[in-house]
Amino acid sequence: MEFFENNQLYVVLVVILSIWFGFLGYLFKLDLKIKKLEEQLKK
Amino acid sequence: MKTWLKIAVSVWLTGIIIAGIAFPMVKSPTTWYEFPFIPGLEEKARNIIFHVPISWSTVVAFIMSTIYGILYLKKKDIDYDLRSVSSASLGLLLCVLATVTGAIWAKFNWGSFWNWDPRQTSIFILLLIYGAYFVLRSAVEEEERRATLSSVYSIIAGVTVPFFIFVMPRIMSGLHPGSLGDEQGKGPVLEFKMATNMLMVFFGALIGFTVLYFWMYSLKVRQMRVERQLQQITDTQ
Repeated sequence: MEFFENNQLYVVLVVILSIWFGFLGYLFKLDLKIKKLEEQLKK
Repeated sequence: MKTWLKIAVSVWLTGIIIAGIAFPMVKSPTTWYEFPFIPGLEEKARNIIFHVPISWSTVVAFIMSTIYGILYLKKKDIDYDLRSVSSASLGLLLCVLATVTGAIWAKFNWGSFWNWDPRQTSIFILLLIYGAYFVLRSAVEEEERRATLSSVYSIIAGVTVPFFIFVMPRIMSGLHPGSLGDEQGKGPVLEFKMATNMLMVFFGALIGFTVLYFWMYSLKVRQMRVERQLQQITDTQ
């Protein structure tokens, strides 16, 4: 804990990376969903 | 967009985020991962790595919207209108992000979130211009008429983009780096005074954010095509 208290930049990094990974997950999931819909429409 | 490119840009930008935030800033860098301490900017200099590429992607998005607007008027293919509106919507989102990241930086560098600096004023006008674009679209129901009107509007709006982003903030004196008469402020972005490692991360971010924009753009276009097809099916039933 003392490490994070003295290096708050790493706390910022962890928060931003969490948001970033969440956003990436959303993009990949959206991609798959659109692909499914496109395939259904083709049929 | 190819899957490998999506994975590559995800990994690439993760690296950029880690480098941009976690690389230490020291007065005399001795290793490749240390950024030099920029007097006056200090840790706030990290914002350049995120704020500028986001602003750049905004310009790309608005210009793309204009190009597809021209193509729609030329070929009358509704797909070009879908591309134009997709790009404009992403541009507006990126423009908001650029404004927010700029305002946060301004709070710590200039003392307040909003100062009506020429750069802030110009981005505010751009937000209004593109906000009006969506108001215009929502006001017209007939598809072809909407596409024609918004294409004409996107061309007029697109012409103002280079002026508000590149010209106006540089011909007027202000607080933002690059403003007229601000010799020191010309600094990191305009004259590339940045250290090599910081410059590499900066250009890496520029490339990464541009590719990310194209990924988001392709998703938005595909989503709008599916939406339109579903609407057509519902209409015929």
